[in-house]
Amino acid sequence: MKFEWADEHRAFRAAIRAFLAKNLPPDWEKLAHHGPGSAAQTEFSREFCGKLAQAGLLTPHWPVAWGGQGRDAWCQIILAEEMWSAGEPRGAQYMNVNWIGPTLMQYGSDAQKQQYLPPIARGDAIWCQGFSEPDAGSDLASLRTRAARDGDIYRIDGQKIWTSYAGLAETCFLLVRTDPDRKRGISIFLVPMKTPGITVRPIPSLIGEGDIHEVFFDAVEVPAEARLGEEGSAWDIISFSLNNERLGIPRYALARRALDRAVSILRTRGDFDRESVRAQASRAAGLCQAARLSSYSIVDQRVRGMAGTSSSSSARVATVMAERAVAEFVVEFLPDALCEADPLLKAHHQRAIVAGIASGAAEIQLNLVASDVLKLPREPR
Amino acid sequence: MELSLSADQAAILSALESLAKPYAATPTNFRGFALISEALDRALAEGGFLDVAYESDLGPVTAALVVAQLARLPYAAEVSASALVRPLLGADLPRPICLADAEAPHLPIRFLAPGATVVVLHRDRVRVFTASVKDVRKAETLFGYPMAMLVPHADRETTSREVDVSPLAVRTIWRIALAAEIAGLLGAAIDAAVAYVSDRKQFGRPLGTFQAVRHRLAEASVRAAGTRWLALKAADSGDPSDAALAAQYAQEAATGVVYDLHQFLGAMGITLEHPLHLWTYRLKALLSELGGRSAQAVDAASLIWDDAEAIGVDPHRAGGHHGV
Repeated sequence: MKFEWADEHRAFRAAIRAFLAKNLPPDWEKLAHHGPGSAAQTEFSREFCGKLAQAGLLTPHWPVAWGGQGRDAWCQIILAEEMWSAGEPRGAQYMNVNWIGPTLMQYGSDAQKQQYLPPIARGDAIWCQGFSEPDAGSDLASLRTRAARDGDIYRIDGQKIWTSYAGLAETCFLLVRTDPDRKRGISIFLVPMKTPGITVRPIPSLIGEGDIHEVFFDAVEVPAEARLGEEGSAWDIISFSLNNERLGIPRYALARRALDRAVSILRTRGDFDRESVRAQASRAAGLCQAARLSSYSIVDQRVRGMAGTSSSSSARVATVMAERAVAEFVVEFLPDALCEADPLLKAHHQRAIVAGIASGAAEIQLNLVASDVLKLPREPR
Repeated sequence: MELSLSADQAAILSALESLAKPYAATPTNFRGFALISEALDRALAEGGFLDVAYESDLGPVTAALVVAQLARLPYAAEVSASALVRPLLGADLPRPICLADAEAPHLPIRFLAPGATVVVLHRDRVRVFTASVKDVRKAETLFGYPMAMLVPHADRETTSREVDVSPLAVRTIWRIALAAEIAGLLGAAIDAAVAYVSDRKQFGRPLGTFQAVRHRLAEASVRAAGTRWLALKAADSGDPSDAALAAQYAQEAATGVVYDLHQFLGAMGITLEHPLHLWTYRLKALLSELGGRSAQAVDAASLIWDDAEAIGVDPHRAGGHHGV
């Protein structure tokens, strides 16, 4: 057991930091404050991801056959930590390289791979994920958006909601019901967002501009070739995707950076001499460290080829705890930072609220820890 | 970064498990607060399990793993000070090793008895002496360790000797030992509660099927895992700020989890026939060590931020604490 980074990983992190230092503009923090889904940041991401791709830092963990370098999962999390804590200059494109691309490699037809993978690898593709619906959030399997087969096409009707990045996305990774009689009769379609019948409306939110939307599908016709994998195979594909993603965004990295920034501001004001402030700062730092190490334990299992384990839910919960502690620290001791003072702290605070909600609510994660880690008997349904 | 056990570590923990097997269950007739076994203590010492930190390729991480695993037993054994703190002070010191904080002279001390080695951590020095009968006042403790009070003596400065080791180094390894022990205790106590709520039925179904219980137990498990990782990381780096964070996190976790677990066991958890207290009342004893969670937190802040700022390093960009 060793907690020191190998030389290869240390060098990889240094290369990313050097790239960021060179390629983020001086006013980047102000730009990043708009949020990864904003028009400003999306536009920036196309240029930035293009440069990342040229530097070999967009898809280093992808296989060589698809333009990657076959680097290990440690490199993937180092990349994710550095990008997220820098304010996610990849914008929405982080999703593409983390799980949409790898999922297409595994389940896509040749035509789908040829169509979608090269733009992702070039850093010039925006996707959204059409998962949640008004009546299907945590209980995703109850989704009702319907795709009905009609010869060579499917006709899609229904509604998605809280869809991140839908406003500017070109393609939707869409979950729809193809078999109304089976709860799990759900399939995935890759749907161009310009297809007639799709209407996108932004939902004003607490977390930044252009982030969440409602998306309506009104007799949207897509060719059968737009289906990813077999009919009814959505759950298998999604579990592969989640397995690839597993940890979600390493939010603890930005949380720790925000904490360091807050401490630095408090110190210049003389407020960091107060023991009450110091104690709460350390408490938050401990939670960040726990989230980081719990996440690393999952990466370690992945690097060693172990199948997906239940403890990724545990790491997710630890991350929510860390994010919350830092956000609360700033609200308690540095409220003015959320007004004018600091775009980094402001951006952190806006995003922190999502930690326990996106990609599976914290309460769902706790249920998974209870069932899969602790082996408690399940709740009756 | 390699967060799984090495082959040597796995072999040591497996040997330890075999050795400890006779002690894995509470004797059915035991109705006390602190369960101890001289035979277990002897076997651990003779088996070399308390000396793993001396092996350079095993070191403090393996010692911390041993501490955490042994803390899972219902038996209280003097392991953490011997396995982790003693290597800093001298292998020839007689066991048990008892840790005393000069800043808190009224705290009861674990395993203190005549003949024990007492390590007194002062702000600016570390002193060691062998306890005699007149140094020890037996305490009828509610805690899950055998404990006694150290009798104050004016001549202790002459009867004890100063050890050539920095107080910060001792404080650091003590914090690591504390966190590792808490990690093991939390794990075993949670297991005991999980077994109980999986079995005990109310309203026609096991208590463990109710979300009010499941969520809090799951959070306890997340905190126990965090405690273990922070302790092991600190054992590996030996960094004082890692150690202070680990101890702070561990004491904070234990504070909340002990309360919750007793809630889940209801009246059964207040009986002496159920062994839960053998872990939770050890945890309670550890909550006050080294000033408790608030003191660790204040110290951790100095170690993390004052030092970094003093030398003009942004902890994020330096990749120090931030990059682990």
